[in-house]
Amino acid sequence: MLSIADNYFSQFELPVGYDIDLDRLNGQFRELQTIVHPDRYAAAEDEQRLQAIKLSSYLNEAYETLKSPLRRAGYLLQMQGVDIEQVEQSDLDPELLFEQLRLRESLAELPKDESALERLEELHHATSAKLAQRQREFADFLAEASLGQARKLFHELQFLTKLQAEIEKAEDAIV
Amino acid sequence: MSLLQISEPGGRPVRRTDRKRAAGIDLGTTNSLIATDVNGEVRTLADADSAHLLPSAVHYRADGATTVGAAAKAQAAADPANVIVSVKRALGKSLDELEDSGDYRQYRFDSECEPGSPAFVTAAGVRNPVEVSADILKTLVQRAEARTGEAVEGAVITVPAYFNDAQRQQTRHAAELAGIRVLRLLNEPTAAAVAYGLDTQEQGNIIVFDLGGGTFDVSLLSLRKGVFEVLATGGDTALGGDDFDKAVAGWLADQCGLGGMDSIAARDYPAMLQAANRAREALSEAEQAELSWNGSSFTLSAAEFAELAAPLVRRTMLACRRVLRDARMETGAIDNVLLVGGATRMPLIRRAVADYFGREPLQDIDPDRVVAIGAGIQAEVLAGNKPAGDFLLLDVNPLSLGIETMGELVEKIIHRNTSIPVSKSQEFTTFKDGQTAMALHVVQGERELVGECRSLARFSLRGIPPMVAGAAKVKVTFQVDADGLLSVSAEEASTGRKAEVQVKPSYGLDLDQVEQMLKDSHEHARADMSARALREARLEATRLMEAIGAALEVDGELLETAERAAIDQALHALRQAMAEENAARIEERTEQLNHASEGFAERRMNMTVGAALRGESIDAIDERTE
Ligand SMILES: Nc1ncnc2c1ncn2[C@@H]1O[C@H](COP(=O)(O)OP(=O)(O)OP(=O)(O)O)[C@@H](O)[C@H]1O
Ligand SMILES: [Mg+2]
Repeated sequence: MLSIADNYFSQFELPVGYDIDLDRLNGQFRELQTIVHPDRYAAAEDEQRLQAIKLSSYLNEAYETLKSPLRRAGYLLQMQGVDIEQVEQSDLDPELLFEQLRLRESLAELPKDESALERLEELHHATSAKLAQRQREFADFLAEASLGQARKLFHELQFLTKLQAEIEKAEDAIV
Repeated sequence: MSLLQISEPGGRPVRRTDRKRAAGIDLGTTNSLIATDVNGEVRTLADADSAHLLPSAVHYRADGATTVGAAAKAQAAADPANVIVSVKRALGKSLDELEDSGDYRQYRFDSECEPGSPAFVTAAGVRNPVEVSADILKTLVQRAEARTGEAVEGAVITVPAYFNDAQRQQTRHAAELAGIRVLRLLNEPTAAAVAYGLDTQEQGNIIVFDLGGGTFDVSLLSLRKGVFEVLATGGDTALGGDDFDKAVAGWLADQCGLGGMDSIAARDYPAMLQAANRAREALSEAEQAELSWNGSSFTLSAAEFAELAAPLVRRTMLACRRVLRDARMETGAIDNVLLVGGATRMPLIRRAVADYFGREPLQDIDPDRVVAIGAGIQAEVLAGNKPAGDFLLLDVNPLSLGIETMGELVEKIIHRNTSIPVSKSQEFTTFKDGQTAMALHVVQGERELVGECRSLARFSLRGIPPMVAGAAKVKVTFQVDADGLLSVSAEEASTGRKAEVQVKPSYGLDLDQVEQMLKDSHEHARADMSARALREARLEATRLMEAIGAALEVDGELLETAERAAIDQALHALRQAMAEENAARIEERTEQLNHASEGFAERRMNMTVGAALRGESIDAIDERTE
């Protein structure tokens, strides 16, 4: 049905790298699902159907990994043999930690009503901008194979993404 | 089937005689439909009175007979206890949940039934929601068989996209009970998109806004080159026309000098809802509507109704907002909005949708039939009657799935809006030395604590080879298939021993509770996070202290005095930290204890693992030959 490639990038015939053509990724994904999706094998033998479920699940996992900016970053590091599970104190810039703490505190201190929306919007905006900037830096470090730096940035991206989710939750709780 | 086709020379198209009669069924809260191929086109079928919509009402009569549809609905006011309506909203719920909702007050529930699976006591006997649904399905299938003169060999049944696992399972059981081979459970908004998309050949991002009698779904799909990809879905399985009727009935009760909804007597309840429903539907055409109750007349204006409806409309808009956010998309990127479900005929819904998305929703589709037709088309493909190359559906999982870990925390394994089928594995390890069994508890929901999610199933894994705590690696795999149904399997890595469960609908997920869970999950997200950090820290600390305690008892004399003193001191410091509520301090002292005992643990681990592994292979062989 489908031959499994060495890594998710080559599975979708994309160059390995942080900057990714999302349209192309989506196009390739759809094309491959058209081949392996279990609905294509509704009338086939059990064994073939099971194989289809397996391959289709694998493609979904590969697709979701590359689609998400954070998961893509982690995956690229893992491809280089970098352990991203263990976070060491020294990986985190104390200044960054402090800033995170401050942001979280200001989030907690906001009133729980509509008057907070404007501030939340600002925070969301600022975090998005910072995420975008850090993503560019990450791409650069990765391109020049500064893996240590890239790993630090990855953890920073994790923090920022989490913060972003918290801002969104705070907004959802109000509207 | 496909193998036979392939072996035919030239790969001829499916011959007429090879066709299997397949159907699409929209099992609705208020109305149900069946669609099948009629002369090469999938259409909904009408009954002898040319009605396509079968009211989802079932009358269980004292003479033992069962009537389904318009005749049953007509008896709802006269024989309230024996005409079951809106049964779809009872699927997957517990007795308490049904009783507390007040929606089923006109019925008597069986006192003998399990709290997790309530049943109605009717004049014709006890019936549970799965059986009532099966009676509706049977009537539809009979209609198709009478019209086509052929037996229906398989059907695609639609479910709200936001249905949870228990509700999906019960729908499947109802179909099985009705003797239907289920080709697939298909999400209602996805089915609507298929019928619409294949008809118009349109490409782009479309929103399907489906407000029916009892449930609400909103899905965002991307349509391109025959592939229908659901990007995100949201909704509320307890929000529909019924709730707007309840709002009007509450108003009527107030006007009559009764004290609101709760004051409506059980046996008056269906009649009052029907009066409210008539007025509400009339307001879709007129600026005001008349209601009469007990000889008095009242006038409800469109403006007054809009006020009553506002909180419900707002809930639908919040779901839209969340779907866009989950897909990381702005309203500007939406190319079209499709309205599905009878309740979208309310002008105030059309207006709210148009305002929110900044464009007029499509007007030219039949909001009642489009779901059944989409299901019928998918049934043709799955039965092998239609070449599969025509189109492909890629759907998502609506609610996050997870597993209970130590300390009543939920480890999310499959997040909401993940494309299905999906399979995810997670490794768990043993907590105690020599532990040979492990219980796994599967839950569904967005919260971080088990008690605030819905329990789906529990299963246990036995035969884990005895090893020191943390040495056994139990790999748990969650698989959600294309029906959106979950199965869980677990395997110990070193022995390959397996356990498998099919998730059983032990009790249904309360839908108000899902909504509440989601809401709470936003409100309490922060509290959850810190509570979680503390639990995790304590857990980690306890685990380490237990391990070291056990190790000291056995091999304590191997230690040098200085080493022993360092460990004792670190143990003492950690115990002190455990008494406080400071996660960071506990973590820090755990780390110190870890550090102090590193050398000892390593030496000992090597010895013990060696011994355990030798023991393990013998045990494993014994168990396999049992
Ligand atoms: N003209 C109208 N104006 C207002 N509401 C209407 C109109 N026509 C139908 N409805 C409402 O639509 C609802 C039924 O819609 P529909 O048949 O699509 O629901 P269903 O498919 O049975 O339910 P669900 O999809 O939630 O399971 C009822 O609440 C009914 O009052
Ligand atoms: Mg419907």
